[in-house]
Amino acid sequence: MATLLAPPAGAPESGAALARRPLRSGRDLTLVAIVTTVSLVLFVIVGLPLIRIFAVAFAPEGWEIVTSMLTNPVNRRVLVNTVQLGVIVALIGTAIGFVLAYTQVRVRFRGKRVLHLLALVPIVTPPFALATATISLFGRNGIITNGLLGIQGDVYGLKGLTLVLVISFFPVAYMNFKGMLESLDPSLDEAAANLGASKLRTFLTVTLPMLVPGIAGSVLLLFVESISDLGNPLVLGGDYTVLASRAYIAITGEYSVPAGAAYSLVLLVPALSVFLVQRYWVGKKNVVTVTGKPSGTIDLITAPSLRIPALVISGLVAATVVLLYLTVFVGGFVRILGVNNEFTLRNYQFVLAGIGSDAMFTTTTLALVATPIAGLLGMVIAWLVVRKLKRFAGLMDFVGMLGLAVPGTVIGIGYAIAFNTPWIAGGRQWFPAVAGGSAMLGGAAAIVMVFVARSLPSGQRSGIAALGQISPAIDEASTSLGASSATTFRKVTLPLIRPALLAGLTYAFARSMTTLSPIIFITTPQTKIMTSQILAEVDAGRFGNAFAYCAILIVIVLGVIGLLNLALLHPSLRGIQRRPS
Amino acid sequence: MSEVTIATAEPGALSLRALTKVYAPGTPAAVDGIDLEIHPGEFVTLLGPSGCGKTTTLRMIAGFEEPTSGELRLDGDLINKVAPNHRPMAMVFQSYALFPHLSVFDNVAYGLKLRKLPAPQIREQVEAALASMNLTPYAARAPHQLSGGQQQRVALARALVMRPKVLLFDEPLSNLDAKLRVQMRGEIRRLQRQLGITTVFVTHDQDEAMTMSDRIVVMNVGAIEQVDTPELVYRRPASVFVADFIGRANFLDVEVGQVGADDARITVLGREWSVPRHPDADGHGPATLLVRPESVRLASVDEQEDGGGVGRVVASMFYGESIEYEIETESGPLVVMVADPHDAQTFAPGDRVSVGFEASRAWLLPAATPVAG
Amino acid sequence: MRHRRLAALAALPLGSALALSACAVDQAAPGASSGASGGAAGSGTVVIACTPQEEQCQAMAAAFTKATGIKTSYVRLSSGEAVARLGAGKSKPEFDVLYGGPSDGHVAAAKSELIEKYVSPNAAKIPDKYKAADGTWTGTYVGALGFCSNTDVLKKLGVEAPTSWQALLDPKLAKNVAIAHPSTSGTSYTAVWTQMLLNGKDEAKTFDYLKKLHSNVLQYSKSGSAPGQMAGRGEVAVGIVFSHDCVKYQKEGFTMLKNTFPAEGTGYEIGAVSLVKGGPNPANGKKFIDWTLTADHQNIGPTVGSFQIPTNPEAKVTEDMVKLDQVKLVDYSSDEAGAAKKSLTARFDAEIAPQPK
Repeated sequence: MATLLAPPAGAPESGAALARRPLRSGRDLTLVAIVTTVSLVLFVIVGLPLIRIFAVAFAPEGWEIVTSMLTNPVNRRVLVNTVQLGVIVALIGTAIGFVLAYTQVRVRFRGKRVLHLLALVPIVTPPFALATATISLFGRNGIITNGLLGIQGDVYGLKGLTLVLVISFFPVAYMNFKGMLESLDPSLDEAAANLGASKLRTFLTVTLPMLVPGIAGSVLLLFVESISDLGNPLVLGGDYTVLASRAYIAITGEYSVPAGAAYSLVLLVPALSVFLVQRYWVGKKNVVTVTGKPSGTIDLITAPSLRIPALVISGLVAATVVLLYLTVFVGGFVRILGVNNEFTLRNYQFVLAGIGSDAMFTTTTLALVATPIAGLLGMVIAWLVVRKLKRFAGLMDFVGMLGLAVPGTVIGIGYAIAFNTPWIAGGRQWFPAVAGGSAMLGGAAAIVMVFVARSLPSGQRSGIAALGQISPAIDEASTSLGASSATTFRKVTLPLIRPALLAGLTYAFARSMTTLSPIIFITTPQTKIMTSQILAEVDAGRFGNAFAYCAILIVIVLGVIGLLNLALLHPSLRGIQRRPS
Repeated sequence: MSEVTIATAEPGALSLRALTKVYAPGTPAAVDGIDLEIHPGEFVTLLGPSGCGKTTTLRMIAGFEEPTSGELRLDGDLINKVAPNHRPMAMVFQSYALFPHLSVFDNVAYGLKLRKLPAPQIREQVEAALASMNLTPYAARAPHQLSGGQQQRVALARALVMRPKVLLFDEPLSNLDAKLRVQMRGEIRRLQRQLGITTVFVTHDQDEAMTMSDRIVVMNVGAIEQVDTPELVYRRPASVFVADFIGRANFLDVEVGQVGADDARITVLGREWSVPRHPDADGHGPATLLVRPESVRLASVDEQEDGGGVGRVVASMFYGESIEYEIETESGPLVVMVADPHDAQTFAPGDRVSVGFEASRAWLLPAATPVAG
Repeated sequence: MRHRRLAALAALPLGSALALSACAVDQAAPGASSGASGGAAGSGTVVIACTPQEEQCQAMAAAFTKATGIKTSYVRLSSGEAVARLGAGKSKPEFDVLYGGPSDGHVAAAKSELIEKYVSPNAAKIPDKYKAADGTWTGTYVGALGFCSNTDVLKKLGVEAPTSWQALLDPKLAKNVAIAHPSTSGTSYTAVWTQMLLNGKDEAKTFDYLKKLHSNVLQYSKSGSAPGQMAGRGEVAVGIVFSHDCVKYQKEGFTMLKNTFPAEGTGYEIGAVSLVKGGPNPANGKKFIDWTLTADHQNIGPTVGSFQIPTNPEAKVTEDMVKLDQVKLVDYSSDEAGAAKKSLTARFDAEIAPQPK
């Protein structure tokens, strides 16, 4: 995820500058074809829904609500809540991510692999898994709060949301800082020591200042992620309403699509602007090359004054993660966790063999379809942006990222508006309806499209970072030997950026399986999606089923990721692989 | 470089006794019990191939590695356990290690700020240091805006401004291009002479070692092969390894006859010679003769037969200022370098030549024992 | 040659997408309906927007298919979501029938011209008060609003299970009452409208009560049935939910729950079914509606844990269902309630919800 944050310093700029070749018409038609196809695809899966939702939001009914955001005290409260939640989660999440990354990279202790795994586990988690576990553990009648400590936990609202969102998103900060810390030149620390600085002083005057852009980037990214989250505020919000849940309620409770679009628009503004600031300003100030290879090894810290607090904090976070996930897994095996702890297999039966199995198969299938598309598309876009496009590189990069920068609820509503009905102009159908039960493929197409839109940005970022490391001379050598752009991409570039592709695929699958807000408005009879099923179960109070669903989902995601890793790194497919030594 | 106006401290004296570094028990020592005395104001170079232990030794002196055993003393005080940030030494790193988030001025001022000196004093000293390095116009720049050579000088200024007792260099010139390297060599040496700071310089480049050092420490697989002035290392190498590592060498198999106090009579190239000898080349073990390419003397011959002192030219390369020949003789192949050659010294491949050498320049060595490991 | 290769490359993901999605389509169908053959003459498909619990939707779909041979598929949505989906798909409706959910949802849908009036021949059996006179919707079940209390928590607080609306205002119940938010939950709005009816439609008096209740409410949940499970989990003492939900939770394992009714009178919801305007299979849709009004269908409920009271007098009323004649019901008119919803909930949003507790 580190690669999500920082555009690699220096390299791709010079690489792209060196390698930009003007489009020579008649010579490289395949390139023109590729660019056109990609642009069209991006327009359809990202641009169109956004345009449609803007249209609805700016229509009189929607606009009325938008303007009332500051005047209407209720709406103002919602806006304030959203920003408040975002800021708190961003700050705490970044701090925790930093402490864990620092502990992992710099402090001496045993069990580094365990800590690393635990820090990454939340990434594969479906929404509400942690929220429901939190209620069971820390709620008013929670196992820990009431059962163990005898206090009435106040878990609905800001407190509970903060806990769950921090745990959900700190891995993003963790991955980012880990990459940066690993890339820091150890000789800088030695130079500082040589000049008289103690370890603490070195940390404060050398290490920390160099990480400031990473810290800022982390804070901003976590802010965007937390205000876009829908599932947790629905389950855990209580009276604390945020823009995402408000938009959802506008549509499902008040039956008003314009209102939903309006709230989405208001949500879009802070999300997008923060995202832009992070990408185009903070990212450029980075002095640490994230993908650079560190020279030498750094001394691991053994001083107790630093070691003990670091390990204590990391331990607490790790313990919380373990506790929450244990709850999820155990909760699926009892009737009602905390109330009736009788062992039962009914919940798992429901998911694996009963009604739930439908959702399981459909979701996995659709995610598996979307994943290679997203991975490949991400790589192609990265390749076009870094190597081939001159003027429009920035634009394509931006549009590709939109799928992630825009909150899920916004995309979801946009999709429902844009794709529920066919696009008919001049009496002819230009584009069929792809969402909704009466659409082609039973609405599966829209779901695949939204999966792709949401997960290709990560692959795009990994691809751009990886391509920045490869000399453009390699592409040129291939071309001088007679290969077209497409052949070069297929036979030369793609194999070299295989690790980035793998990272992109992994993330795409995990994201598609666990996403809720974009698809909740476009599920159909033929396409039951696991996350919306989980919401229904949580809503109905059937926590057992919900836990079983979540556990199965986590297992599926980890399983597929494991297979992907094995497949792409298998010796027969590996060929000659660049290994960082 | 202008006259250096940096104040200095008393140059320190370093003493290494049986200094050893073993990384993992059971593995060969990276540095194996070396003894070395470095005198105040001396410029000493640690020279050797990669893996010889020179960098590890330097890092032990600096405090970044803790010796496994042995003693490290600065001016008589044992400093094995002293933390690196408490040692009065300054180091110039191979990658310069300039703080990327600080300007040139702040980089140089960093160590002084840590000493909590008053700001005006810091400014004065930093400006003096920058001026001596011709860096004054760049004071406000960021490191990545400077060229390699300029970054090198900033690193140097940053080290010197600390008034260290010992100055340490870790292969600082290897990232520079050839011309700059030569230039910086001279500047660093001049600077060191002016300031008189004890300097330990690590390199694998023998030209650097030869041109800059008061003494060279030649290291090989963790041990010291020889500590001597450049002249002695070149003319009187202590082993075949040193002879081969420094400069170019021809090794001839010879028969050793009578052995004197510091010379020996040998037979090679068809006649007898009297050559200086290494104390250990006493005729009891196998010996080899070192003859540098520039010490070989060639002359044209009329004889139609090879053998004895007659050899055949196999290849010739014209360098302009010199010609280099490969000669095949009955005692083995020879590389010959003839500087500023006359016509009489110009031969073509296939020619027969009479081969001789300056006896006083030759050096009889014990033959190399196969190195373990 | 190049282009062919490119086309092949492009076709691969697209083709696989199509192939696999088609799989998804086929796969879902057998799940949603069991067995395509058998039963009385009937063909084609019918698509239901289904509001009750997943198990009921599945059981009902299977039963209808078995009975008629018509392939039944459904999407399980909450009432609000269903109406919104109908609205979004207005120009090309994907559903034939809107099944379940309180009648005011159907009324709202009708107002947005999403419903087509249909009076089923089977509607004759259904009592008048459980159906729209103009055939907009017909009731298939009735649920009465009640208090679902956790007896363990009550014991700890030293309070008896409440048997009146006034009892809910007991200071001992501070932060121990749970009710949903009226703008998103039909259940909660039923409670609000009930208050209006009990107060002779006096808004001031109603909001006065709601303000007092506010201090005892822990939070206003999003979904209507959440208060019941909060009570079940012991997070609150009393949840205001429909009594059939309380029974369902009891059966699920929350055995400490107890259901009571307010003596002043309580509101009720009529679970309705209506025909979507312009649906893909209107004839089958009508057949489905006919079928939901039969005793056969209404007997399915208890088998899948739904304990609403059936509207068809011939359907079985089991032990677990509330006896309607034992509860005092207010005179609830969903038309009137529906009309006032927007303004009442807006006022609630402005005056009650933001108040400190």
